[in-house]
Amino acid sequence: MRLDRTLVVAKKTLRSLRHDRRTVAFVVLVPLLMIALFGYTFGGELKDVKVSIVDLDQGVLGNSLGKAISNDLANSSTLMIMEHYGPGQANASKADAAIGQVKDGKVWAAVVFEEGFSASVLEAIFNMTHGLPVEQAPIKVYLDSSNPNIAQAVSQEVQAAMQRVLVNQYHLVSPIVLDSEQVYGKGAEFIDFFAPGVMGLAAMMVTFMLSIVSFVHERSSFTLERVLTSPISEGEFVAGYALAFGLVGLAQSLVILTTAVLLFDVRIVGSPILVLLVIFLLAVGMQGLGFLLSSRAKSEFQAIQFLPLVLFPSILLAGVFWPLEAVPALLRPISNFIPLTYAVDACRSIMIRGWGIEKVWPSMLILTLFAAAMLALSAYGLKKRG
Amino acid sequence: MDDDGPVIETKGLRKEFPGLVAVDSLDLRVARGTLYGLIGPNGSGKTTAIKVIVGLMRASAGEARVLGERVPLRTNRHRLGYMPQDIAIYPDLTVRENLEFFAGLYSIPKPRIGSRTEEVLKVVDLLDRKDGLVSQLSGGMRHRVSLACALVHDPEVLFLDEPTVGIDPELRVGFWRFFQDLKSKGKTIVLTTHYMDEAVRCDVVGMMRGGRLIAEGTPSSLMTQTGRGNLEDAFLEFAGRVVA
Ligand SMILES: Nc1ncnc2c1ncn2[C@@H]1O[C@H](COP(=O)(O)OP(=O)(O)OP(=O)(O)O)[C@@H](O)[C@H]1O
Ligand SMILES: [Mg+2]
Repeated sequence: MRLDRTLVVAKKTLRSLRHDRRTVAFVVLVPLLMIALFGYTFGGELKDVKVSIVDLDQGVLGNSLGKAISNDLANSSTLMIMEHYGPGQANASKADAAIGQVKDGKVWAAVVFEEGFSASVLEAIFNMTHGLPVEQAPIKVYLDSSNPNIAQAVSQEVQAAMQRVLVNQYHLVSPIVLDSEQVYGKGAEFIDFFAPGVMGLAAMMVTFMLSIVSFVHERSSFTLERVLTSPISEGEFVAGYALAFGLVGLAQSLVILTTAVLLFDVRIVGSPILVLLVIFLLAVGMQGLGFLLSSRAKSEFQAIQFLPLVLFPSILLAGVFWPLEAVPALLRPISNFIPLTYAVDACRSIMIRGWGIEKVWPSMLILTLFAAAMLALSAYGLKKRG
Repeated sequence: MDDDGPVIETKGLRKEFPGLVAVDSLDLRVARGTLYGLIGPNGSGKTTAIKVIVGLMRASAGEARVLGERVPLRTNRHRLGYMPQDIAIYPDLTVRENLEFFAGLYSIPKPRIGSRTEEVLKVVDLLDRKDGLVSQLSGGMRHRVSLACALVHDPEVLFLDEPTVGIDPELRVGFWRFFQDLKSKGKTIVLTTHYMDEAVRCDVVGMMRGGRLIAEGTPSSLMTQTGRGNLEDAFLEFAGRVVA
């Protein structure tokens, strides 16, 4: 193994990328576009979800819980109250009208407080404190659940409002307190969760594509033949490409990290260098895979057909946008065979939990083994030809 | 190394493709300082023979030696130059970058790469285009770059597969002067050609047909053997004898 020849190949590969402006744009802009697009799409919080309130609550001794909760909801930035039928004007037909609005898609939810709402809440509180059977308080939320995210947000808002009112007015605190302390990721937002994923995805996508196309080119233009008559060994050649595309992956990660930090305020708790190292390993492995697959392709067109085959499982099953826990058990074993899974897991742990190499080494080891196996197989495949 | 024996030697070399014998019992001996011309019709096995000898394809039977070492070469690769029949250069690199790359593969020291690049570019008359992208060159110019890349490390043994195809007549004359020049410096050249006026200028001509070497000798001896005044007719005569 001679390093100088490996460097010569790496230099050549980077040079030929540089001369192709579109490729440079592809390498830099794809990750930029991905992080920006995903950041704006998923990063935003729900705002101004349209709901209507029908408050039929008569109250107890002039004190209406329905009114208090309604007022609280009106202050929520998540919700936008379209219609608010107060106790004076509200009647059963108003409730039907509000439900109709949900059915027509004019509002996402109708929140209805029944006539005896305050009374039954107080009764429930009394029964609870005296060890008597408790009946459910009749607060009704008619939801359009066609969008689960929105439906869940509305339910949570209503429950939270009720809690607040009970605490304020009756100094009542639910006996069960979910005392969750955030061990990691204090104040973490969704973008913090998926920025590492998008970074890995972009790096693997671009390096895989570039390498598969480069190698088909290298074969079909016979430059590979010429190279292989020179003193360079198959291993040195493969290593040169790996180095070049590893660096491409690094450059992309830098773009993504910078964008994520500057534009979306993504925090990196752990070492950015370690993150880059993980991406480098992933990029090297993926270019190796691209090399291997390209030897099975006779044209660039055939080679491109491998793309969805590799890309889709990675997008869906590697934990980029949702956690692995959300992957059906049947498909979970596949996740374990996707390199991106380990890269995303490692990057996430470094960036959000602030883990160091002493904790993420298992993922990095797997990525290293993957990269080494791909390179070895590529070099072996080159030796075997003819 | 066995520097007194033939620089290139094959014994019973055979290359089969599925359902086809491309090279059949090929026995070649090329001495140092020889300009050897392989001629023969399309598909006669010239390119395949060269690819086996330079180690790009495995022989199905027989053996080949270059500079005394059995192919595929390990220790002598740096002494060998190969120009494929197809233009084998990187279109998205400049002419100079292509040359620097191939020179780099042979571990030529940096300062020497610069001077060698200039030298071979002068031979192929592309000094003025050295910083242009190959993809923007004409077909013939690319062919010239491809030749330059085979020369850049100053190899002792050169395999040139149709080096003058698509080259204008003026430059072709220049090429042949250069080949003669290399030869006089003790380099050994094996080239293929379809131009009989080029074949006549070789020291030894090997005629291939159907994967076999049907005749070999100096151009004049081949012509006297057949009593023909030119190589083309001589070839047809030999081909007829094989069939008969
Ligand atoms: N990779 C391959 N797979 C199958 N058959 C091949 C392959 N390469 C060459 N052949 C066949 O081997 C035979 C010899 O081809 P070769 O390229 O050596 O001929 P050639 O003498 O160089 O012809 P030309 O003058 O056209 O360059 C042809 O019949 C060709 O179709
Ligand atoms: Mg040929």
